[in-house]
Amino acid sequence: MRKITLSVAAALLAGSAFSAMAQDGYFAGKTIEIVVPFGEGGATFVSAKFLEPYFEKHLPGNPEIDVVSRPGGGSILGANWFEQNAKSDGTTILFTTSSTANPFVLGQEGVEYRLADYRVAYSHPFSAVAYVSPDTGVTSAADIKNASTPLIYGGIAAAASDLPGLLSFEVLDLDVKTVLGFNGRGPVRLAFEQGELNLDYQFTPVYLTQVVPSVAEGRAVPLWTGGAMENGVLKARDPIAPELPSVYEVYEQMNGGAPSGIEWEAFQGVASVTYAYGLTGYMHPDTPQEVLDIFAETVAAINADPEFQAESQEVTNGARLNAGPDTEAAIKAALSPSQEVKDYLRKLLSDKYGVNF
Amino acid sequence: MIENALSALDALFDPVRLAALFAGMIVGMVFGMLPGLGGVAAVSILLPFVYYLDGYSGLAMLLGAVSVVYTSDTITSVLLGAPGSPASAPTAIEGHALAKQGQAARALGVGFLASMVGGLMGAAILFVAIPVAGPIVLLLSTPELFMFALVGLFFAASMIGKDLAKGLAAACLGILLGVVGPAQAAADFRYTFGQVYLLDGFSLTVVALGLFGVAEVISMLAAGGGISHERMKVAHWGTGFHDFWQSKWLVLRASVIGVFGGFVPAVGASASTWVAYGHSMRSTRDKSRFGHGEIRGIAASEGANNATVISDLVPTLLFSVPGGPAAAVFLGALFSFGYYPGPRMITQNPDLMFLIVWSVALTSVVGAAVCFAITPMLARLTRIPFAIIAAPLVLIMVIGAYQSTSTIGDIFLLFLLGALGWMMKHGGWPRAPALVGFVLSGPMEQYFWLTNQIHGWSWLTRPGVILIGSVIVIPVVVSSVRWLRHRGQPAPSVPDQPETVAQEPSQGVALVLAGVATVMFIYALFEMFTFNPASRLMPALTIVPGLPLVLWLLARGIREYRNDFGRDANELWILLALVIYAVGVWAIGLSIPTIALITWMLLARARMRVWTSLLYGAIVFVVVRLLFELLRGDPPVGAIIPLS
Repeated sequence: MRKITLSVAAALLAGSAFSAMAQDGYFAGKTIEIVVPFGEGGATFVSAKFLEPYFEKHLPGNPEIDVVSRPGGGSILGANWFEQNAKSDGTTILFTTSSTANPFVLGQEGVEYRLADYRVAYSHPFSAVAYVSPDTGVTSAADIKNASTPLIYGGIAAAASDLPGLLSFEVLDLDVKTVLGFNGRGPVRLAFEQGELNLDYQFTPVYLTQVVPSVAEGRAVPLWTGGAMENGVLKARDPIAPELPSVYEVYEQMNGGAPSGIEWEAFQGVASVTYAYGLTGYMHPDTPQEVLDIFAETVAAINADPEFQAESQEVTNGARLNAGPDTEAAIKAALSPSQEVKDYLRKLLSDKYGVNF
Repeated sequence: MIENALSALDALFDPVRLAALFAGMIVGMVFGMLPGLGGVAAVSILLPFVYYLDGYSGLAMLLGAVSVVYTSDTITSVLLGAPGSPASAPTAIEGHALAKQGQAARALGVGFLASMVGGLMGAAILFVAIPVAGPIVLLLSTPELFMFALVGLFFAASMIGKDLAKGLAAACLGILLGVVGPAQAAADFRYTFGQVYLLDGFSLTVVALGLFGVAEVISMLAAGGGISHERMKVAHWGTGFHDFWQSKWLVLRASVIGVFGGFVPAVGASASTWVAYGHSMRSTRDKSRFGHGEIRGIAASEGANNATVISDLVPTLLFSVPGGPAAAVFLGALFSFGYYPGPRMITQNPDLMFLIVWSVALTSVVGAAVCFAITPMLARLTRIPFAIIAAPLVLIMVIGAYQSTSTIGDIFLLFLLGALGWMMKHGGWPRAPALVGFVLSGPMEQYFWLTNQIHGWSWLTRPGVILIGSVIVIPVVVSSVRWLRHRGQPAPSVPDQPETVAQEPSQGVALVLAGVATVMFIYALFEMFTFNPASRLMPALTIVPGLPLVLWLLARGIREYRNDFGRDANELWILLALVIYAVGVWAIGLSIPTIALITWMLLARARMRVWTSLLYGAIVFVVVRLLFELLRGDPPVGAIIPLS
């Protein structure tokens, strides 16, 4: 790994003129700006920082990578900034989650970015695990309908990152009381531990470090994961928790057939952007294919890097990066759902959760 | 446990780690002193450097910064009257009033010592976090948190001041500012006028800077080239030590309030500081000096804010839920170093836990000592004309505001709220209740809604709720019993404070402000009916008393009106210049309007000589540009002429 010894201030003054001579490769002497439309302590920012050294090491020319946080408007401000300022040579990347995708898909006010037109450079899965309190009497996923107490789920806002979780309840036809308005998933988990809520979803790193200990102590029962993509269907088990069924499987167990219909379509679209392609690096629509190919090769190299494998084993139970035409096609498809699905989502959100469009 | 504590201390006394800790401390002190830039900015600017160090050194560096921000901000608040950070607004009120009376040393001494005690208290709480604090955090469910917000509001009622109508109207206005943005209860975005900028609501930094900072800077500029104020001598610390010892129990109680504020996730130091300040008012028999320089007010707020930032680390380390904004960045750094805070952290990394405790304790003490050492030098700065200090100060506040979203909206909002704060200052509306209302409206609404959704009304019988509720009920009962008993007897005469005659409010400004507030409340009422019912509660709670109040103030304003704008004409021009500056930055980017503003401030306001102002102005401009680059990477670009 190229050791960066210049401090930020010195780099500003000296520029990167020196490093340009030393290496060759597409990104030699360049700086890639990774825009994270959330705050500095957030999961997305941390993930971007986690990946930073691997991209610096494996991208041809070893560019400097600069992760910049631009929070505001529930990620809309940062994405709008990207729309106006991104360069088309691959040196500006928008690294974000479904919190940016959902307002785009739902056509919310204030969205200026054309997410479905962007090129997809790489993507990192961000799976989530549903778990329940043992006080409900539930011992496994198939048992969820026999809960002895009403199920209470806590969330932040229906149209943001809670959407796939809420849609999974629709697919499984669960009677869940939803309490929205928490500050973040951290406070939600705290409320679960305090016994105020009894059903929760947490994303991988948090699940592995916070919820797994509770499971071991008998204070939480893991239920299912969002699932992983297999031949274009979100049905496979998630490698981060292969012992747990996917929502697809749970539906099969409950109803004896594969899920279908508008609820499933909506869930699959939203959940694949949220979970399977949870953290995605987008580029300007005019970025040359050459750059995208470079990223696909780099991602393959990172996935093969033993150091990366060891570290990701610890943090995400060994999740790998995705890149290339299949990944891009799947993300673009999920970002452009049919009018039917859009109408369903808008109707569900406005009827059940009072969202104004 | 003791071995771990000692081995952690040993680990910290590695030269590189100590150097990192103190380097972080210096950055934290500088950012604490710069108004609008605080803990979040300090840790953000340190973050890139942290990754070149080993885990312990990197974290020590961040902790060094976090633990002194609320110590050094006292200096700015007392000497300049502009809060060094949002949570030291009460210190700015009381401390600056004392400084104007020539008692800066006393205010600063008490402030530093109280900050140190607060910091040590926070460290002690972290130390016992393992057996004690964890269960306490778990006991604080949403109903208890709601009760805390209510207690805060109850204490805040003490800050209303003599003019009841204006004080209450200010509080309502603050709550109204607080409800802008996403509703907690349902998917409504309130009063956003279709602006994406407002989707997250107002940032606390910008509101605190706008309401308090801008108005102070304007009067500094209005003072012009002369020195219109008393020289601030900081010489004898003795009285300060004495005062501190007098209020030691108050400082301890304030620290405990601060610690609880830290336990609550996402409630920053501001809320607990105001609560502690309110508590100091309630526990002081002679309340007349509050607002005109009451040393107990400083003792309480400085004890509380430092305790909060440090106990913010308790939920961060035990549950991986950041207790405040700076703790959130710290949590991110922990992740990056491969530490995953949570129930297992204490058993897995006991050394790290103790390293954190030691770092925080050490910087609290050393930071206070350094503040004592450097303040006499800084106080000398106040002997140069204030207008010369004001020039960089305005721009630093712009940079501080720009940290919220890095869009031009931050700068506009800063000066719009600055205009509001200026009108409040000159129209005789107290600004403290407005800021308290703003700070508490979010948690109140959120926790009330969550509580009622989860528990129905059964939460009222929870033991924690009853315990916290008694903090409100008992004093109310006691004072009503006392009132009933003394009814009919002549009221004891309240001694007046002849030496601190506040400037009479300007009737003209008061009328304009009442008019502006009336328009705001009428519009708010009108738009309220478009929300989901659940999102209407909080706006309704403030509009129902607020609208009649401002209408009455409007009528009163018309009745008492006299054209006294002339008195403040000088300051009005400066306000206008700042608004023009904001529009200029929007239109043609940062550089040209900034150069123009600096030139105008130095030549026209401070009346510096051309050559000195050229040199000084160039330095200020370069520093401002550098700070923009360091903190964000890109200054605002013009919308009409795309320069930066």
